[in-house]
Amino acid sequence: MPTWWAVMLVVMVFPGIYACRNRVFHALVLGLTMHIALLLVFLYAPTEQMQGMVQKIFYFHVAAALTMFGAFLLVCVASSMYLWKQAEWWDAIACSAAEIGVVFCTLVLITGPLWARPIWGTWWSWDPTLTLTLVLWLIYVAYLLLRLETSAPQRARFAAIVGIIGFVDVPLIRWSVEKWRTLHPKPVLVQAGGTTGLTSAMLLTFLVCLGAFVLLFFYLLRERVSLAQSQHALAVVRQEIDEHCAG
Amino acid sequence: MKNFWYLVAAYATIWTALWVYLLHLSQKNKALRAELRVLQAQLEKVLTK
Repeated sequence: MPTWWAVMLVVMVFPGIYACRNRVFHALVLGLTMHIALLLVFLYAPTEQMQGMVQKIFYFHVAAALTMFGAFLLVCVASSMYLWKQAEWWDAIACSAAEIGVVFCTLVLITGPLWARPIWGTWWSWDPTLTLTLVLWLIYVAYLLLRLETSAPQRARFAAIVGIIGFVDVPLIRWSVEKWRTLHPKPVLVQAGGTTGLTSAMLLTFLVCLGAFVLLFFYLLRERVSLAQSQHALAVVRQEIDEHCAG
Repeated sequence: MKNFWYLVAAYATIWTALWVYLLHLSQKNKALRAELRVLQAQLEKVLTK
């Protein structure tokens, strides 16, 4: 099976568990997948000959990066839907996905330098891929700052526009990895012609890690959307009490 | 085992950050639900008066 299809299969199948709406089942599958992922990383996947043990950061660094791209894609889609339908639910999805995307982006920005230091000899380089990832983090931190304190519709609409425009940075990052000759390595997961630069054991380990992170993303999304809905319900009840007291 | 501590630092960061975020979400959710219950009870009192 071409690598690209294997990646898509993991990304498409696991959100199905989110759809079953059973939080305990979701948590159990997530815990099990995470444990299997860690066992595969440390006991099954071979140690890369050039980089040694530190290459094992790859499994969670790249899985976090792909999950982050998925999160920001969801922000873009949900923000567009919010601008079109003006439904609070889409706004809650966009805001929640942005917050989780920022968490994953932070992990990428921390684990990247920890991997780079022993391999490149430096913590950070202002090359296009790293700089664009930092810009992406700043864009969505700005988005979250816009959402602080108030849930005014005008501010939500403005944040939605930022959420959509900010996504433009994601294909730029992908493009920079492929086209620019920088310190950041070229894609190894899916190369030209749909082949992979990983051995079959490495690929299997990576796919399980990716599955675990996709499950984790949807678990966090479930919790965060529930939080947003509670905040909305609280605001409605407060408003009703104020109206009755004023009346 | 060269560079082993970079690997440890990366995995420790990932799991600490994720646990802290998950804990923060569940505690905030719990606090909001409790506040919502109190306010709903208050609203019912106001409405029955």
